Amino acid sequence: MNVLVLMEPGEPSRQALTLARKFGEPHGLPVQAVQPFAPDALAAALARAVEELDAGAVFAAGTDRGNEVMARLAARLNLPLAANCIGAAPGDPATVTRLRWGGSLLEEARLHSPRPLVTVAPHTVPADDGPQPPTIEVGSPALGDLVVRVSDHIKPTNGGISLADAKVIVSGGRGVGSKEGFAIIEDLAGLLGAAVGCSRAVTSAGWRPHSDQVGQTGTKVAPEVYIACGISGATQHMAGLKGAKRILAINSDPQAPLMLNADYTVTGDLKEIVPAISAEIRRARAGRTSS
Amino acid sequence: MLLLAISVALFSRRALFLFRLLRTGKPAARFDNVPARARAEAKVVIGQSKLLQRLLPGLMHAAIFWGFLVLFPTILIAMIGAVDPRATMPWLGAQGWYAFLVDIFALLVLIGVAMAFVIRKVQRPARFAGSHLGEADLILALITGIVITLFLWHASQIALHLNDYPAQWAPISHALSNVVGPAAPVLERVAVWSHVLIILSFLVYLPYSKHLHILVAAFNVYFGRTQPRGRLQPVDFEVTEQEVRFGSARASDMTWKQMLDTMSCTECGRCQEVCPAYNTGKPLSPKLLMMALRDNLLSETSTPIVPNAVIDDVVWDCVTCGACVRECPVNIEHIDHIIDLRRNLVMVESRFPEEAGTMLRDVDRSSNPWGKPQSDRTLWAEGLGVRVLQPGDPAPGVLFWVGCAPAFDERARKSAVSTVKLLQQAGVDFAILGPREACNGDPARRMGDEYTFQRLAGENVATLNGAGVTKILTTCPHCFNTLGNEYPDFGGRYEVVHHTEFLAELVREGKLKPAASNQTITYHDSCYLARHNDVRTQPRELVAAVGKAVEMPRNRERTFCCGAGGARMWMEEKRGRPINQERVREAAATGAETLAVACPFCTVMLDDGVRETGANLQVFDLATLLHEAVERQRNVRLSDT
Repeated sequence: MNVLVLMEPGEPSRQALTLARKFGEPHGLPVQAVQPFAPDALAAALARAVEELDAGAVFAAGTDRGNEVMARLAARLNLPLAANCIGAAPGDPATVTRLRWGGSLLEEARLHSPRPLVTVAPHTVPADDGPQPPTIEVGSPALGDLVVRVSDHIKPTNGGISLADAKVIVSGGRGVGSKEGFAIIEDLAGLLGAAVGCSRAVTSAGWRPHSDQVGQTGTKVAPEVYIACGISGATQHMAGLKGAKRILAINSDPQAPLMLNADYTVTGDLKEIVPAISAEIRRARAGRTSS
Repeated sequence: MLLLAISVALFSRRALFLFRLLRTGKPAARFDNVPARARAEAKVVIGQSKLLQRLLPGLMHAAIFWGFLVLFPTILIAMIGAVDPRATMPWLGAQGWYAFLVDIFALLVLIGVAMAFVIRKVQRPARFAGSHLGEADLILALITGIVITLFLWHASQIALHLNDYPAQWAPISHALSNVVGPAAPVLERVAVWSHVLIILSFLVYLPYSKHLHILVAAFNVYFGRTQPRGRLQPVDFEVTEQEVRFGSARASDMTWKQMLDTMSCTECGRCQEVCPAYNTGKPLSPKLLMMALRDNLLSETSTPIVPNAVIDDVVWDCVTCGACVRECPVNIEHIDHIIDLRRNLVMVESRFPEEAGTMLRDVDRSSNPWGKPQSDRTLWAEGLGVRVLQPGDPAPGVLFWVGCAPAFDERARKSAVSTVKLLQQAGVDFAILGPREACNGDPARRMGDEYTFQRLAGENVATLNGAGVTKILTTCPHCFNTLGNEYPDFGGRYEVVHHTEFLAELVREGKLKPAASNQTITYHDSCYLARHNDVRTQPRELVAAVGKAVEMPRNRERTFCCGAGGARMWMEEKRGRPINQERVREAAATGAETLAVACPFCTVMLDDGVRETGANLQVFDLATLLHEAVERQRNVRLSDT
């Protein structure tokens, strides 16, 4: 039996291939066949390939792209899709094991379908180390299938550094005082190649977008250094800091919870201290380049 | 006769459709406890208790409702009279006292309609926004028609001496009979037939309109909950996979009681007027939710309720404060609908505000919503000399159930520390569970994650029962509600008291002697204390013992939420205005210096609100205020000696 696999660069597709081999002879359809990425066009190409090969099953990695293309294929073929599986076995009906409830439960399900459509949860199955499957040629996509496509790439405003991955974060709280007050925080972050974060109070006041918020209901961060400026350190905020290796706190209140939990503290007005740190860094760098 | 048959047929067709729909509903155990149900019926339906919470609209409705109770037999009398002007109903048709009552109550109905006219056309309260106003106008017109034709019929009857009752017993009709004069012979026929025709069209129209409540509200009240208000119905996971009801995805997943709820809604908007979400500009209105569910149910569609009938935001805006449930004149249980929609979204669709995912995961894995290590649970009590109950220890007189927020949150722990010091001064034998205490499960349950809740409930009940605990003290109204009202479903039966009840008792007994100060205090009632569990007087005793009380406009069972209930503590408030700031402004307007609270979540929310609005207020838990007042008294005595 022929099996169709949507191949993306990287491990997850090789993992999907492992399960696909249990169902039959795999044939790959590379996701780069349609440039730029257009999920409907790929779904149409998969649907045509299913016809040509009389494929008995279709697999893809459970990535954002894999799940989207497969959902569109399922709609075209009017067949059920089992997403984020960690196991699958052929049969009538085929059986799958899939992640539910954010991964806290496993569901054993029977897939009543003439052609099981399955996406495989990334990094749950060993990657296939067999030969690359033969590649299917994809004709030029129909114009109507290109309505949804990548038209542009926009870098995040946060200087391209995501909070979750940042090595250094400079974060501001209510003590910053205003939206404009964040200029000194951004300046310091720029010098350190750091991401800018903030507390919930700042988001509530509308000074920064929610995407900058660190904490329980924002982003959980794990930087090497977290510089907290004018943040008192409510439990809501501290819950997002558990992964931080070193915390430097700047606050006028030495009894603020963040000051008590920090590795280094500076007691005083952040509006003086933060620009002073920036100035010192500039001076040190200027000295280094001149000598 | 033919008209009657047609009307009854049209009515029955619709009534049968509705009844069959109800029969398809999922089971709900609402046939037990007949005495309590009869009492609710007498109070809420006959006594109109919930309507009379608002004076003008209450009197308006009561006048029309009681009027029609009295006038009901006149429908039959009129039908007999329409066929044969000389005949009437045996006995009752000839009673003078009944003719008197009919006259008086018909007048009351007219007054009621006039009041309704003033309310709807002059006052135009905002609570009607989104209701079917045209339907209401038509119904009021029909009611007016019924009463006026009744008067005209009786008047012309008297003029023609066709009355079997003594005319002087019907003063209004009697007076009118002098006016109708020569027109009486024609008018008598026209009036009685118009009367009967209007009633029949009313009958047919009823089940097709929002005025269906006239027929079903009495049943909805009868089948209302007799269990504690703060308790949610557990999901039964012990049945076969197909039978587990993971909340409501479609209208057909609702219980028959929930279906009856939607049919009972008369769109009066009292719920909408008190809803914290609606009042701060959020998409949720309990009234519009009920209307949407009803439309979805009656259309017999199989499309999912969310997002087709209501959008996701509506489901997540609810703080489960219960203001709508308390206000509803026909005892609709809005919270149960919201929770069932959440259960489906969370447990089946895995679709919920993403920021709450952290809480659900941490409650599940770390047994507290912040993901702190369980070993840190006693850090707050270091140096206080609190006994931590070890396995095998004898049970204490009272177990102090600390709760996650007082154990881990900087601001909330102050109340736990104050409570401990007060208990020690009063010589109370108590202990805490320390690391063996786990989240009670309330945040997960109110999010719809019933599975995680039941696991935590099972574990906690095993710990508590194993330790031989019989009496529990807690400072958190959410722990208080869950342990007291919900753990009995999982085999945990304890006497659970809130610290405000317990401390007020100690003050009354003279075991704590506070000295009141001059500070003015406004007390914010927690929803899960004042509304869901009727604890309202003891916190006020404490306020009186420590300072001068000033009340906010929305107080006691009509309190306004802080914004954290229903797991909203763990979600971002992205829509509308912040609820906590709204409440803080209300508190600040009293001129009080101190905003007293009795809940760790209210503490955090309102303290944030004070910082955000810059209000000139300080937020303190009652335990902290009481501890200060007791210290004050001690210092007075020390300086005296």
